[in-house]
Amino acid sequence: MTDERHAFPFLTAFVVTGVGLYAFYRVHEALTPFLLAAAFAYVLNPVVSYFEARGLRRSHLVVAGYALALALSLVAYAGLKSMILSETELFQSRAPGYLSQVQKLVYAQQVQLAKKLPLPPKITEHALESALSGALHALQELPAHFFALLPLLAHALLVPFIGFFFLLDAPDGVTAAIQILPSRYVEQAIHLLSEIDSALGNYLRGILIVAAAITLISFVSLVIMGIDNAIVIAVLSGASSFVPYLGAIVGALVGGGMAFYQFGTLSAAMKVVALFVGIRLADEIFLQPVIAKHSVHLHPMVFLLALVLGGEMFGFIGLVFAIPAACILKALVSVAWSWYSSERGLALNLADGAGVPYT
Amino acid sequence: MSALKSFKRWFLDPQFSRKKQFLRSLDIFKDLRDRDLGHLVAALHSRSYREGEVIFVEGDIGRALFVLESGEVVLTRSVAGKEPVVLYRLKPGDFFGEMALLESLPRSATATATEKTRLHLLYKSKLDALLHAEPRIGVSIMSHLARMLSARLRRLSADPKLLSSKND
Repeated sequence: MTDERHAFPFLTAFVVTGVGLYAFYRVHEALTPFLLAAAFAYVLNPVVSYFEARGLRRSHLVVAGYALALALSLVAYAGLKSMILSETELFQSRAPGYLSQVQKLVYAQQVQLAKKLPLPPKITEHALESALSGALHALQELPAHFFALLPLLAHALLVPFIGFFFLLDAPDGVTAAIQILPSRYVEQAIHLLSEIDSALGNYLRGILIVAAAITLISFVSLVIMGIDNAIVIAVLSGASSFVPYLGAIVGALVGGGMAFYQFGTLSAAMKVVALFVGIRLADEIFLQPVIAKHSVHLHPMVFLLALVLGGEMFGFIGLVFAIPAACILKALVSVAWSWYSSERGLALNLADGAGVPYT
Repeated sequence: MSALKSFKRWFLDPQFSRKKQFLRSLDIFKDLRDRDLGHLVAALHSRSYREGEVIFVEGDIGRALFVLESGEVVLTRSVAGKEPVVLYRLKPGDFFGEMALLESLPRSATATATEKTRLHLLYKSKLDALLHAEPRIGVSIMSHLARMLSARLRRLSADPKLLSSKND
């Protein structure tokens, strides 16, 4: 069996990781576009690798891919431009109406509740008013929060630009890193990278495919149903689908509310709710089994905890990378345990029938 | 026609073709189709070793199969109180450490590069991923490994000297 000299230096690895994480925490704002670009390249890399496995040059593939993506974006923009503009104008003109409608609805419910609750009317009114005014205030602040994210749009050009170089040179970087590593640890280090890659890569690509599918299906369905602001509702639902169940809830609430406001009937709202329940079920039955098969499984509570902690510690960038970081952490723990158990001989199991003579 | 050929040449990666050609020459990968070999090349990691550099040590947990492209590797086993015994000298085209593809157990020998050496590493995790994505590749490699193991076991059980020395 192996002696102590042969064991992987876990302590050194943890200390180096800790120092790295602290350094990252100190400069994370400056690194934001680079991190986003690395994630962008990581998600797109399998497409390049697919064609690379057919013997094509990586450099040519990346350039051709960017040219194609640019052309497709221009075509998509030309096609959707009028729709996006009309939706924006419609939303701007109707936003005050939505707000006053919500206020009316809230106050009507407030009056009814105040009548039904067995408390002095003044206390009930005050409690409800403070709770509802808080919610309304948050609702009114939403556009301000949205505009606060606008500086991030500057990254919209920077991220693909940096991502281009990541896509182009990342494999050479990995090869160089492997070459620098002490030969004794090459096997274990690449094993760790492979484990993280297979767990995280499948997971990230999976949730991105789900988000894109939900956005597309809900957009087409909402347009067919004639619901206003279909793009906004579909994007909201798709973007929030990163958290399990949240995409369907957001879609049903916002879409249902919009349908109720637009058509004034409960049945219109219920149709939209049924649509998002159907999308959620289809996701659960058809997409999730394929995604979960080869990736890390995270409990929804871990999801939310990671998002809250990430947002609290690193702001927007923390929200984007909270789930991948949780996946990496889980893969690291699993690989560390597998190493520890194999190094200590805890996982030595001979196959069944090993004692039967060769015949 | 020649313009099309030169366009194709311009788009094709010569290094990738060279690696594929090398893998095709090996017994373990000889049954794979051209496209399968492409997937395999993408799954391999390559590294160069200096003369005297240790690749793995007896007792380390095995994680990968090594394919020797150039140079020479010597496999040695330690003997208590004596100089290590040389088990085998590997030449270009040979592969070693194949048991790591089946189970994560300690290596039974130490591998050292005796000259400037280039190796390709195939990891169990990568092979598992290939088994799911491209079962044909995994089945072909595994069936070759099984045949090779069977041959070694047959030789071992047919050799009374080896058996008796083991029982002594």
